Amino acid sequence: MASTIAPIAPQFDDAVQQRDASNLGIWIFLATEILFFGVLFAAYAITRTQHAAAFAAGSRLTDLSLATVNTALLLTSSLTMALGVYAAQSGARRALVRWLSLTVILGVAFLVIKGFEYHADYVEHLVPAVDFSYPGAQAGEVELFFYLYFVITAIHGLHVFIGVVVISVIAVMASRNAFGPAYFTPVDLTGLYWHLVDIIWLFVYPMLYLVSRS
Amino acid sequence: MKSHSLASPRTYVISWCALLALLLLTLGSAYLPLGSLNTAINLTISVTQAAIVLLFSMHLRSAHPTLRIVAGIGFFGIVILIALSLSDVLTR
Repeated sequence: MASTIAPIAPQFDDAVQQRDASNLGIWIFLATEILFFGVLFAAYAITRTQHAAAFAAGSRLTDLSLATVNTALLLTSSLTMALGVYAAQSGARRALVRWLSLTVILGVAFLVIKGFEYHADYVEHLVPAVDFSYPGAQAGEVELFFYLYFVITAIHGLHVFIGVVVISVIAVMASRNAFGPAYFTPVDLTGLYWHLVDIIWLFVYPMLYLVSRS
Repeated sequence: MKSHSLASPRTYVISWCALLALLLLTLGSAYLPLGSLNTAINLTISVTQAAIVLLFSMHLRSAHPTLRIVAGIGFFGIVILIALSLSDVLTR
């Protein structure tokens, strides 16, 4: 039971200062994550400006319905994560474990659906450098779209995977009563990371799946 | 820094509903033949969705200004990066 009392490192005056420092730290990390994806988004913006027609053709070959379901799953997992942080703050241990488990399940579902999507892309010969063939005009430029599609979704998927692993660890810690109203920083920070991964997908979705659907 | 206060579950559920509604809106708008306006609408909706997540789920609404500035730096960097890169590509 003593584990719910906040361990304060010697460099901090009190628990509040320690938590604020952790929060500042995770936001600095998240800012670097935003820039990390920003480089990919900039590459996308430049390439799409130069090859608008090919990007429209490439985007029409992606699976919009699976991507839309995945977006809804990720948005919902963000809700369950936020409710988990609230449960941690309220000292509701069972609710915390339940919300975290639900978040993990939704994250895994996202990855499984992504896997099916990748498989369908492979079957349709849309994987650049491995097996790519496109019968229409501008095959090289369409391949460029799919190159960006795979790099962006794979790196985002890696972030989802890391999130799933971290949230699972936090869930096990929570079930062992590691958090309470006085100390729930790891839950809070994991939540911030998970929400950011969600935000990045909110931009990936229209960039890759919604180009020229009309 | 003032420690942040967390929002209520009601706030989270309302923002979730708003995010899903915006998802349907961005999906639906993509099927309207609006030309380059489609991309503008999609991006505007994405920015709105991101703002909802940042302000409510990530508590920036009640966060200390230092955190808000740090949070803004990344997005500011992206805007500079993309705007300057496109200013080259679009004016050749």
